Amino acid sequence: MTKPTLLKRLFPAFALSLGLLLAGQPAAHAEDDGQLMASGANIRDQASLQRGARLFFNYCVGCHSLKYLRYSRMADDLGLTEQQVMQNLDFTGAKFDDPVISHMPAEDAAKWFGKAPPDLSLEVSAKGADYIYTYLNTFYLDPKSPIGWNNTTLPNAAMPFPLWELQGEQTAVTRPGSDEVEKLELAHPGKLTPGEYQQATRDLVNFLEYVSEPAALQRHHYGVWVLLFLALFTLLAYLLKKEYWKDVH
Amino acid sequence: MANVFASIGDWVNERAPGLMPVYRKHMTEYYAPKNFNLWYYFGSLALLVLVNQIVTGIFLTMNYDPSAAGAFDSVQYIMRDVEWGWLIRYMHTTGASLFFVVVFLHMFRGIMYGSFKKPRELVWLLGMLIFLVLMAEAFMGYVLPWGNMSFWGAKVIVSLFGTIPKIGPALQEWIMGDFLPADATLNRFFALHVIALPIVLLLLVVLHLAALHEVGSNNPDGVDVKHGPKGNRWDALKPADGIPFHPYYTVKDLVGVGFFLLIAAFIIFFAPTFGGWFLEHDNSIAANNLVTPAQIKPVWYFTAFYAIVRMIPSAFGTAVWGVIGMFGSIALLFALPWIDAGPVKSIRYRGTGYKVALTIFVVAFLCLMAIGMDLTDEYFPKLFGAGIDITLWDNVFGRIMTLTYFGFFVFLWLYTHLGWEKTKPVPERVTTHD
Amino acid sequence: MANEVVDHGRRRFLTSATAVVGGVGIVSAAVPFIKSWEPSARAKAAGAPVTQSLKKIESGQQLIVAWRSLPVFIVNRTPDQLATLPKQDPRLVDPKSDGSSADQQPKYAQNGTRSIKPEWLVMVGICTHLGCVPNYVGEIKPEPFDPDWQGGYYCPCHHSRYDLAGRVYQGVPAPKNMQIPPYHFVDDTTVQIGVDPKEGA
Repeated sequence: MTKPTLLKRLFPAFALSLGLLLAGQPAAHAEDDGQLMASGANIRDQASLQRGARLFFNYCVGCHSLKYLRYSRMADDLGLTEQQVMQNLDFTGAKFDDPVISHMPAEDAAKWFGKAPPDLSLEVSAKGADYIYTYLNTFYLDPKSPIGWNNTTLPNAAMPFPLWELQGEQTAVTRPGSDEVEKLELAHPGKLTPGEYQQATRDLVNFLEYVSEPAALQRHHYGVWVLLFLALFTLLAYLLKKEYWKDVH
Repeated sequence: MANVFASIGDWVNERAPGLMPVYRKHMTEYYAPKNFNLWYYFGSLALLVLVNQIVTGIFLTMNYDPSAAGAFDSVQYIMRDVEWGWLIRYMHTTGASLFFVVVFLHMFRGIMYGSFKKPRELVWLLGMLIFLVLMAEAFMGYVLPWGNMSFWGAKVIVSLFGTIPKIGPALQEWIMGDFLPADATLNRFFALHVIALPIVLLLLVVLHLAALHEVGSNNPDGVDVKHGPKGNRWDALKPADGIPFHPYYTVKDLVGVGFFLLIAAFIIFFAPTFGGWFLEHDNSIAANNLVTPAQIKPVWYFTAFYAIVRMIPSAFGTAVWGVIGMFGSIALLFALPWIDAGPVKSIRYRGTGYKVALTIFVVAFLCLMAIGMDLTDEYFPKLFGAGIDITLWDNVFGRIMTLTYFGFFVFLWLYTHLGWEKTKPVPERVTTHD
Repeated sequence: MANEVVDHGRRRFLTSATAVVGGVGIVSAAVPFIKSWEPSARAKAAGAPVTQSLKKIESGQQLIVAWRSLPVFIVNRTPDQLATLPKQDPRLVDPKSDGSSADQQPKYAQNGTRSIKPEWLVMVGICTHLGCVPNYVGEIKPEPFDPDWQGGYYCPCHHSRYDLAGRVYQGVPAPKNMQIPPYHFVDDTTVQIGVDPKEGA
């Protein structure tokens, strides 16, 4: 009846801008210009979360806290019993309901590393899983660094490489005539093969992603049902509207 | 059951006979044009979001701690320790962004179909006031989680007031109650966000609706159904092209609500940060007055206006021009009923010049948004090669878009006041399709 | 304009169906909000068992510790005080704690002294009337509120009285004996409140 309204002409513009928005998002994550590796983290993989937790409590908790995560919550979400958590993961003597606090005194840490190791509760929310995954894979021996280690993802990081016995030691191949790192080479293999090490860091990042938002597990669980319910409601409302609008047309 | 309701109704009616007429006036005997299209969902959706923000907001205050020392922790407390706290918070954060989506579309509808024109100027002005208060409300709410983006966002926005010559610096300190955003700032923003501004907002919404119902709704044809032929199947004296708001538009709006909730629920349950657009990554880091985030930019709904601030350079030793530009860009919207003197309301029957100008205006607004979001920094090198000078390109592009934004209003004034517009005949009656 | 024939049955059915589904939606949406008032994980963590050493509590003295933010009375009752308990039975509402007060203590404290070890009273110090904290008036001597006072608890709010096992006297507003929380002895001089004794221990 009417000519195509402007509505129809402008909608693609809105759709496009929305598309632009979403397309722009991954780069909005961590601010680095290098390429990030895809972490492949999946918090619904409970076995991976458990392995990641074990790595965290063996290699990271010495310096890094997870002050917003309670051991008890972790046990619930990771399918672990209180006994498993208290015996295998809780090395600080904290109570089951306590949050995960590192034993390292902040002042000492600041003295040793130049700054206190950050709390990692929200690290994945802040930096993105891919960033941390890449970070954990790009440590290399650097004789010029006061701590002996450097990192291509976060140059001059204050953190020594705690997973070196797993990955081994990487060294940097620099571009001829400059300090710029071209690529990393595994000089001394560690306990794990490169594939195993990537899987291990994937598990660790996965665990940290879970830690940054434990509610994500619930979100996904309930979300499907909410959407199905709303679809039913919308369908009924649509039929009701059609029925009433018979009066109008 | 029905009898019980009927007798309760009678009981109330006997004691408050004035209530039923009010209900009738605004619902069953409010005759709305029958040709509303998709664009007419956004008003009721805005109301729905407002209710959501109030309800979820009330519940958030129950566990939120408005102090610089406790705010950030208390948000994580809500996200982790309070049962279902994560849902309540995500409903609030998603609602905030969707509020602006809905309101932008609602405003665009008004511009497109001339809903701001006589006799609805008051409706438009009240609506613009709502928009202004909403921006203040959103800004203060954004500060409350006390993440690093909250902190620096607060710092930058408050600094806008600091650019005012002479009184600026003192005003800035007065707003913050300190020399940087601090406990005092957070406390007063909290009070304004949860009590003062919502009261104003509610009052304005009531007035907006009351003013609308006085003059009646516009429609996609811009035909005034009140002055058209009379007589419909419900009432011989009422507009022939009007239908009772209830039940026809209540059931129709219900469909809109269903679709809207589907989208909202999808975001809440599966993408609550919306890739960093609704909840920014740097806000997962607690406020730190010594470290500014690498990329500091406002949350997406402010970006277009923020880009204007960035695009206008300082001159005569003051940066106030950008701030004037930003507030001017909003002030011009207020003045739209007087800038646009065209006799025809709906874009369907307006001159080609108007259609082209409005399209360009929308494109300029979206481009300014993209600039404010720093999307241009990312896409220019991809489009034009890595070697280009991003700042230069950004500034050139952004200034053209800023000029286009303001140019729209200049053009519109000339176009309609000097009689350049060639309109098409407006039909007697509303047109409907399907 | 459409034909005048309206299918009222279909219309009514769709209206009810939408209303019911919408109503279910609103009620379900209310559930998270209602649940958000439950004690949070932090409150539950703070409600974790409390361990208290008994070494410093001398005979006849009371110590108050917080468990789940509740005041818990720990009293080291003297032999004299213990001797008064059986004599109070006729004046009490529920001397054996098996009537109205049957749920006011764990099974292992449902006895004459309302305790695991006779001398140690561990009790939630909340008056069963309206929730005030009763005062410990341990001495056996005439008091203004009772010339025949045998030691016990006196609630300042509405003058409810209890004996030294937290059993409520007749004729006062409080209906029940005060509550005994779950507790057990970790060793001879340490009590843990909030955890039942192990079976058979």
